[in-house]
Amino acid sequence: MGSLFDSYHSVAYDEMFAGDGAPHPHTKALFDALQLLSSADLEERVGVLQRSLRDQGITFSHAGQEWIFPLDLIPRLIPTAEWELIEAGVIQRVRALEAFLADIYGARTVLADGIVPQAVIASSTNFYRAAAGLEPANGVRVHIAGIDLIRDGEGVLRVLEDNVRVPSGISYVVENRRTMARVFPGLFLEQRVQPVAQHIALLFAALRSSAPAGVDDPTVVLLTPGVYNSAYFEHAFLARKMGIELVEGRDLFCRDNVLYMRTTSGERRVHVLYRRVDDDYLDPVHFRSGSVVGCPGVLNAARAGNVTIANAVGNGVADDKLIYTYVPALIEYYLGEKPALPNVPTYRLDEPEVLEDCIARIDQLVLKPVDGSGGYGLLIGPQASEEEIESTRAQVLENPRGWIAQEVVMLSTSPSLDGEKLAPRHVDLRPFAINDGGQVRVLPGGLTRVALREGSLVVNSSQGGGSKDTWVLTSRPVRGDEPDPVAPMPTPAVKASAPDLGPQSDQPQQQQQGCAPC
Amino acid sequence: MSWRIAVRHRTGYVYSTAVRASYNEARMTPASSRGQQTLESRLEVTPGTRPLRYVDYWGTVVDAFDVHVPHSELVVTASSVVETAGQLDPPPPIGWDAVTSAEVADRYAELLGASRYVCFEPEVTSTGASFAAAALPADAALQAVAWSHEQLGYERGSTGVHTTSAEARAAGKGVCQDYTHLTLAVLRAMGLPARYVSGYLYPTAGDADTTVGVSTSGESHAWVEFWAGQWVPADPTSLAAVGERHVVVARGRDYADVRPLSGVYHGPPAESLGVEVELTRLR
Repeated sequence: MGSLFDSYHSVAYDEMFAGDGAPHPHTKALFDALQLLSSADLEERVGVLQRSLRDQGITFSHAGQEWIFPLDLIPRLIPTAEWELIEAGVIQRVRALEAFLADIYGARTVLADGIVPQAVIASSTNFYRAAAGLEPANGVRVHIAGIDLIRDGEGVLRVLEDNVRVPSGISYVVENRRTMARVFPGLFLEQRVQPVAQHIALLFAALRSSAPAGVDDPTVVLLTPGVYNSAYFEHAFLARKMGIELVEGRDLFCRDNVLYMRTTSGERRVHVLYRRVDDDYLDPVHFRSGSVVGCPGVLNAARAGNVTIANAVGNGVADDKLIYTYVPALIEYYLGEKPALPNVPTYRLDEPEVLEDCIARIDQLVLKPVDGSGGYGLLIGPQASEEEIESTRAQVLENPRGWIAQEVVMLSTSPSLDGEKLAPRHVDLRPFAINDGGQVRVLPGGLTRVALREGSLVVNSSQGGGSKDTWVLTSRPVRGDEPDPVAPMPTPAVKASAPDLGPQSDQPQQQQQGCAPC
Repeated sequence: MSWRIAVRHRTGYVYSTAVRASYNEARMTPASSRGQQTLESRLEVTPGTRPLRYVDYWGTVVDAFDVHVPHSELVVTASSVVETAGQLDPPPPIGWDAVTSAEVADRYAELLGASRYVCFEPEVTSTGASFAAAALPADAALQAVAWSHEQLGYERGSTGVHTTSAEARAAGKGVCQDYTHLTLAVLRAMGLPARYVSGYLYPTAGDADTTVGVSTSGESHAWVEFWAGQWVPADPTSLAAVGERHVVVARGRDYADVRPLSGVYHGPPAESLGVEVELTRLR
């Protein structure tokens, strides 16, 4: 039959098909549904999707322009058992990184005990001495984390990097689901998919619970660098959804180590600052003195215990890519546990023999700047030109501490729309974790980023990536707050061929997701 | 032997037109550490404010304050009474192996590299290497201190607070801050952990009969401490022994970590009020 999957062939582990070409048990229902679609159906839905994205204004800016963040039509499915592993691994990681940050900016036992060399911290550009001794109200420094996972050629999920500074993307998770509910409402009827609509409420609750002691009804604001920031859409979206003020630096001021915002009805005290401004720009008293997007005095206001900065200042020392290589050891040191999710094999280039070996085979490795993000400065050896390799080699030799090397991981693929057909495209997954001080929760879903260019392994939105709606399947009935009832397609054409309720048939032990949102 | 010294340190800024929204940090309270004891300390700011006092990463007492009333002059006066540490015992005769071990290099990693005002230059590094021939690191370090003293002529106003060790060396002159930065460059190039010490120096030596009760116009001062099995202070500007006349305020990698007064404000360029330090030996 003239299937959308004709000539579909992945060179990597595929999220939909097993090695024998048959769909995984948990993707069978989706596969069957897609089998019923024609190219024409798909095209029509793409039209709906494009209009929907444009109407919702889901954009990011890159190279000075506004772009629609492309949403691929085909969702990425995660079976219950696997989600439990992800959940456990992410929670463990966030707890270890919280403990590490409290230690590094406090007692520093991890250094005294020789788990992490002092030199690694001293040379980290993300270690902020001004944050030393600053104790957040409820002990939380990582209010929200995005832990990037990839799946290797053997199907093993690995942590690629941790993001505990100002992780972005949660708005796309919520909006992608809303869009998909419009475009493919029928699909949801046949699947038990964990909802994502409550994600932002959980973030808001965590922000509120981080308020200074004794504040019952805290004022939370979102600080954005402004409309020219690449994530401004998200800032505006989150502020609107949480019902809080979206402010810029000029709207804030500190007096006697208390933070206020200027409003039309006078000044109003701020208790929690959800800032989407980088540390360097946050407080000109301590950091870049010329910054106008921050607020002078806010760090000392936090030190005085009068305002909570979320996420905390100085978190970058924990997601420095050199520290990443120590995270498995940190999990054992602080939690006495074995890491649930392994790292990608990574080499520290500040060790001379390792440097020599990695430089010799630089064309087979991935090289990353330790303090970079967004895929900037990244070299993927096998896909790079001679000039790119030469340039990176020179930079690495100049400053080995500034780089790590990783084995190339052939990221798993997921069927994605390519013209009229579905073709395998490489994906990663960024689950979000929220820490409210009592509990770390992993939001069931997350942002699946997809490299839309054939063969590309770079999924960052600034590098030609898109995203997919991410369905965490559950064997439990899901409350009916999704799909979004707004303007569905007139005739849901998609029907599953059999009432396959997903993974519970082959994974009977999965009864329960330990973190029902409240 | 230890002296008890009262310190009064006054500094600030004058502005051509009124300034508001001024956010500052003062590092002007003497440290209580390594044998020195601060008995009293007080910070006065005009216009009046309510400072937040905290201890920073380097162990220095910081007063953070902001001023919102329009003002054309900001004056900060720190008053304290300190019992100085006196002269410390000389370090034990520890060899290079113990001082430059991997363990020490890691523990003091941030005091071994170049920093904002401490530059590694080839000439300085090779000079350091020649001193490293000395059998004991402490002896080599004192040679480095003497060498730095020779490189610069003392000339007030010849350099500014942002002058680096390389710029001062090129100019061949400077003040205590520059002597200190240059000395740090040599010491660190030799692999010896070394830190910047800021404070005050009571200007005249002498016994109690001639100095107690006498107020003198002192000055802000800077010197170094290097690691030779223990922290050893040395004063490259005066080459005098560091002892009862030295009052320690702050320690760090270089001047950037110990600035007595720093901050941001909205308004026209500021002019420094200058620094007035009055030191009175109490006993």
